[in-house]
Amino acid sequence: MTLTSAPLNRDPDVTSHWHRRMFGRPGRLFEPLLILAGLLAILFALVYPMVFILLGSFKTQGGLLASATAFTWANYITLFTGGFGRFLVNSLVICVAATALSTLVSVNAAYVFSRFRFRGKGLIFGSVLFGQMFPWIVLVNPLFILLTQAGFTNSYTGMIFCYTAISIPFSVYMLTGYLATVPRELDEAALIDGASRYQVVWRIVFPVLMPGIVSTATYAFMLCWTEYLFALAFLTKPAVQTLPIGLYQLFGDDRADWGAVMAASVVTTIPTLLLFLPLQARLSSGLTAGAVK
Amino acid sequence: MRGDRLFITVMLGPALIILALFYLWPMVENLRVSFTDLTLLRLRVGGQWIGLANYEEFITSPETGRLMMNTFIWLTAISVAVRLLLGLAIALIVNTPLVRHLRLATLARIAILVPWATPPVVAIIIWRWLLEAPNGALNSVLLALGLIDTPIAFLADLRTVWPSVIAIVVWNTVPLIALSLLASLQAVPADLYEAAELDGATRSAKFWHITLPFLKPTIVVLGLTSVFWTFNNFVYVWLATGAGPGTFTNVLATEIYIRSFVDFRLGYGAAIGIVMALIMAVFGYFYFRMIGRRQIEEVL
Repeated sequence: MTLTSAPLNRDPDVTSHWHRRMFGRPGRLFEPLLILAGLLAILFALVYPMVFILLGSFKTQGGLLASATAFTWANYITLFTGGFGRFLVNSLVICVAATALSTLVSVNAAYVFSRFRFRGKGLIFGSVLFGQMFPWIVLVNPLFILLTQAGFTNSYTGMIFCYTAISIPFSVYMLTGYLATVPRELDEAALIDGASRYQVVWRIVFPVLMPGIVSTATYAFMLCWTEYLFALAFLTKPAVQTLPIGLYQLFGDDRADWGAVMAASVVTTIPTLLLFLPLQARLSSGLTAGAVK
Repeated sequence: MRGDRLFITVMLGPALIILALFYLWPMVENLRVSFTDLTLLRLRVGGQWIGLANYEEFITSPETGRLMMNTFIWLTAISVAVRLLLGLAIALIVNTPLVRHLRLATLARIAILVPWATPPVVAIIIWRWLLEAPNGALNSVLLALGLIDTPIAFLADLRTVWPSVIAIVVWNTVPLIALSLLASLQAVPADLYEAAELDGATRSAKFWHITLPFLKPTIVVLGLTSVFWTFNNFVYVWLATGAGPGTFTNVLATEIYIRSFVDFRLGYGAAIGIVMALIMAVFGYFYFRMIGRRQIEEVL
């Protein structure tokens, strides 16, 4: 990780070498221009759709086609007076609870996988990870039957259960990976000092593991926050529905107010964007752990 | 030690119980339901045992061929290939000395993050606006440039619907590929290139013999992960086209949903679910053989 985040171009020799190479020779201006044009095209394609929505959400009605320029909060006010706040609260409750729960049980499980040898460990670990590859759509059908019979459709509890379960597989994998970098001597020293295993986990390992726990929890939260399928199948009452469902209903409505839909899209995206910015470097390395080396 | 065994059980138990309740039990239930004619309306009564009839119906259905073609080729193979190529192109451009020299790399990284942090539902809504006919942004631009004479209904026209869906999937998912490949590119030892330059290697030779082999492990992991993630995905096709026009873009995931919750035929939906799970199990086996085993050994 130190390698990737280190600014490689700071080396003066390298820079001047490339500088000569890129700008020094006449007639080679074509290539830098091509690269910059490519870069601009890519950046535009990546960012424009969100900018379009963001700007649109602050424009007055008439939405897409109108070129009205006046800045206004009207769309957000319409959105929240129309009851959209309910979806935001539902999403927050369900996702925070599921993230906390899945992170908690995953830290415990990851600690055992990382520190103990026992029969069937590889198989159990592999099975946990296989959960990541499992098609959720296949589970929707039987879970719907089971949750209906148990009375857990249209309930926070049912959704928290589902979101906890979908977050555990990669959380366990990521946390086990982070734990591999925490020296075992730390545990052993504490054990010799008379601490119990539980104390070691909560007093010693947990604080040291904090950066890893934060990345893992962030990713779990993102996964829950953007989940659509289970929410679609198991939540039919607005009182419990989550943001993605509320947003899509707003969009699908024939009398849809485009300004409000844009505002709702922004509200749905802001939390993930804010969480993502500080953590992206660690996330992209964590998700493909094992690839490089 | 007895103490250790108790500790292991207490620590591991909750996670395993939740996973068993969520993955294992429903799958057993799904298998049972797939042999019945259970419908949503008779959920409380239960279905009749009809043996392999659901499976037979699925295999002999004239729709199944296109369903498989759509799922394997269009949704998965093509979109993953486009994603990898585009992700590689983005990473290579951002990693050029020129871009780094102009201090644009950080800006580019932040820009790449934007689609990644966009929830799929939002991505689909935005793109449905952009692709809209007659007044969507893309149609306006193409008309203004004189590239087309009449607006194209991108998500309703049979010629453009799959490329459009793939564009949405790629936009939303290419960032992970680009950022991961960028990280790998920056880890290529500089002396490899220097040595090659001394030997007079051309730029394409350096790319094919140094850069690409170095990136290969990352590309394999990203490719395989993207394959199962995309194959399993429901939301893009469902919200972008509703499996339409007609059933033109129907894939396995949307077929299960339609059969179970639109036609109310839970038994038939369950049978397709078992087929899909089996396909994933086979894929999972090869994934494990190729890289999964190493990924597991690395952290344990």
